[in-house]
Amino acid sequence: MEEISDKFHWLRGRVPRAILTVVVGGVMISLPLLIGKSWLSITIEMLIMALAACSLNLMLGYTGMVSFGPAGLYAVGAYTTAILLAKAGMNIVPSMVAAPIMAAIIGWAVGWICVRRTQVYFALLTLAFSQIIWTVIFEWYAVTGGDDGISSIPTPDFFFSLVNSYYFCLVLVSLCIFIIWKIVNSPFGRTLQAIRENPSRVEFIGVNVKRYQLAAFVLSSLFLGVAGSLYCVFSGSAFPDYAHWTKSTDMLVMCLLGGIYNFSGPIVGTAIYTILTKTISKHTMQWNLILGVIIVLLVLLMRNGVMGFLSQKLFRSK
Amino acid sequence: MTLEAALGQILSGISLGMVWFLIAAGLSIIFGTLKVLNLAHGSIYMLGGFLCYHVTSSLPQTPWAFWMALIIAPVITAAVGGLIEILLLRRLYGLDMIYQYILTFGLILIIGEVCKLVWGVGYNTVAVPWPFKDTVNLFGLAFPKYNLFLIGMGIAVFVGLRALIGATGLGGIIRAVTHNREIASALGINVPTVYTGVFMLGCWLAGLAGTLMPPMSVVALGADLSVIIDCFIIVVIGGLGSLSGAFLGSVILGLTTAFGLYIIPKLAVAFGFILMIIVLILRPWGLLGEPD
Repeated sequence: MEEISDKFHWLRGRVPRAILTVVVGGVMISLPLLIGKSWLSITIEMLIMALAACSLNLMLGYTGMVSFGPAGLYAVGAYTTAILLAKAGMNIVPSMVAAPIMAAIIGWAVGWICVRRTQVYFALLTLAFSQIIWTVIFEWYAVTGGDDGISSIPTPDFFFSLVNSYYFCLVLVSLCIFIIWKIVNSPFGRTLQAIRENPSRVEFIGVNVKRYQLAAFVLSSLFLGVAGSLYCVFSGSAFPDYAHWTKSTDMLVMCLLGGIYNFSGPIVGTAIYTILTKTISKHTMQWNLILGVIIVLLVLLMRNGVMGFLSQKLFRSK
Repeated sequence: MTLEAALGQILSGISLGMVWFLIAAGLSIIFGTLKVLNLAHGSIYMLGGFLCYHVTSSLPQTPWAFWMALIIAPVITAAVGGLIEILLLRRLYGLDMIYQYILTFGLILIIGEVCKLVWGVGYNTVAVPWPFKDTVNLFGLAFPKYNLFLIGMGIAVFVGLRALIGATGLGGIIRAVTHNREIASALGINVPTVYTGVFMLGCWLAGLAGTLMPPMSVVALGADLSVIIDCFIIVVIGGLGSLSGAFLGSVILGLTTAFGLYIIPKLAVAFGFILMIIVLILRPWGLLGEPD
């Protein structure tokens, strides 16, 4: 499928990839020594959003299901941890373990209805359900704190140190992304990609397409739950904004910016997007306008995202 | 609940439903012909609302100000729609649908931010226009004349659109393009022009709804997304691409919302969603839609 151009072929293959992994890993591990506190905190946010974007891309890029509601499930994870810690007074471990489980259960219920339709309807349904989740969070004052959210959550002292939080996030996010990588490269993951390419053919071979799509939905929800829970612990709070549709757009743009057909696309996209947000929004109030223009230009000019663009230029792959 | 109260809820539910119908009809026609789901349709509606406020407040305060706005605002939104179709959407036909979604999502952000820059974050009101200012006595119930006017408008637009699409030459062309783009093109129909025209018609309808709504409520940011979600519910209930489905769905959702607000105000939003889920489970292609 891929033609290798002469110039950059040495970038492919096992050895360069291993070197790249070691370098990136080394930089990530020594990062607290290299950058200041404010950027370290931004990096933590970046890590968490990278996990969310990768989870979304499990549906978006790998199964071809456009979801507009990832933020809803992300918020389920965040609120599960927040409620268990702050209201039920539970320990950190069960609170964090419960988040992905809860997100997966709700993701299963939502997904069960959503996968009944494809394409446009699927996208609409996911948007509608994330709005339901947002409404529930906003209105159920007794449990979720309504629009005040839940703040000053009693997280363990361990997380008071930014460096500790960073390493905790780094380990957990890397682990989850590694699992997602294993999933997309497993026979199951290959089936998902086949469904993306041609659902009716896959159906003819005897695969229950809806069941696989639902499985992708649930897995995606599970990891979104982990991301939400991590963000809740890191920030010590949970707000209805977490479920807001603009959060879903953020995630979609991150995936698209990096490239949805590359595994590393969402991660690269998240990094670029976060840095852009943090630097541009310092100087202007019209961040949404700029974001909107970026999205439009991205769709018109660079549909495969940064990673798609790079791999096209460097390796002339199709 | 007394009989009068029930009647009042029915009438206000239907008048709300009629405004939704105008928006949902545009969304549905655009989807039927162009196969584009315009997520920014609610933003066009909101833009219409702000334009209505702008025109009525900048013209001299005569009874005609609102009616001028009713002519001007939808024309402007149609023009905006035309630009969007020609400059942006046209480049995405034949590609994966995800790009349309993302593009129109981007437009939501841009239009919302432009409205915020021009008209600010406040709540703007438009007075109920002459001659619909007072109420009319219906079965012992004082009912706003303006709401009756909205019901009349909704029905008139429904009948007009059906006639336009079902019984005119132009409608025949639209149906031909909807049915089979290639063959229509081979028969000499200028498909890109039809696409632009239909998209503009849809945006004109959204602008019309945007102009009609302010006297009944307020003009403010945030209407874009709340209304697009209501319209999604409507087209899912009625069947996306079906005009009659949009009409039926609007009436159903209008009534559900009105009674929901009356009985359990906090959960009014949920009723629409529950209805949608029931329809999806029993009849996934919508009440008047066709199975795909």
